[in-house]
Amino acid sequence: MKHILANINKAFENRVRLGIMSMLIVNDHADFISLRETLEVTDGNLASHLRALEECGYIIAEKKFINRKPNTSYRITREGEESFRNHIKALEDLIRK
Amino acid sequence: MEEQNQPLEDIRIIRKIMEDSSRFLSLSGLSGVSAGLFAIAGAIAAKMIIPDSIITGEGYSESFQASSEGLRIIRFLFADASIVLVLALASAFFFSWRKAKNEGKSVWTPVTKKMLVNLAVPLATGGLFVIFTLGRVPGHISASATLIFYGLALINGSKFTLGEIFWLGLLEVATGLICLLMPHHGLLLWAFGFGVLHVVYGLFMYIRYRG
Repeated sequence: MKHILANINKAFENRVRLGIMSMLIVNDHADFISLRETLEVTDGNLASHLRALEECGYIIAEKKFINRKPNTSYRITREGEESFRNHIKALEDLIRK
Repeated sequence: MEEQNQPLEDIRIIRKIMEDSSRFLSLSGLSGVSAGLFAIAGAIAAKMIIPDSIITGEGYSESFQASSEGLRIIRFLFADASIVLVLALASAFFFSWRKAKNEGKSVWTPVTKKMLVNLAVPLATGGLFVIFTLGRVPGHISASATLIFYGLALINGSKFTLGEIFWLGLLEVATGLICLLMPHHGLLLWAFGFGVLHVVYGLFMYIRYRG
């Protein structure tokens, strides 16, 4: 049991974080608003989870201006992609068990 | 109990979000049905206006196309096809917009934009091809070009929407190619590709996805 749980990444235990990573793994990038709409969460909740994933080095934020309005777009890092794929694999192993 | 199901539920959420955020899933089956019905109506209008000798290809010649009667028919067909296109697009948008609204999803997402760009490039190319060669090639070539470019547009756009669109695209391309080989049946094959295929596909999707 122990070796299976070893790959379960604590950083992805939360559903919002799971959602953010799922979205960024299939999309080149996603902005704050489309993340919020797809995941149906509040601004504050989303922002705190984005910050946590950013601190882990799994995603990076890119601040741009679109029509003079600030727009933050997020993309997944290589480390983030690798960790998330390992996490999915660990979940699947757990189900198969 | 909940503890045990959590990995399964997590995987389900991951799959759903990957799917929802990378594909436009609100495409309604009714969009296909309505587009098909408009196409059939347009083809019937064309059949009534064009003399049978032209449809079968026997009366076709470059001098006929340049005559005032020929120009009148070409103008009519162009207007007819344009009206069908506008009505088909409008109804397709309407039914998909309604479906998205009923499902509580937003229609205008980055995925929708990607899908539309991928559809629009081959489609606009085909449209320009037909316009630039209008009156200089036999009608079945124009009909074939609309089917082929439309099919390629669907295949290209299918990456961002329901996978079944890929197969519809292949069938449209095949119909377009057959149309090239059967010059006497240009209008009939056009009506089959844009009319019958859309209606059948739309009904299939409507039943399969309940909307």
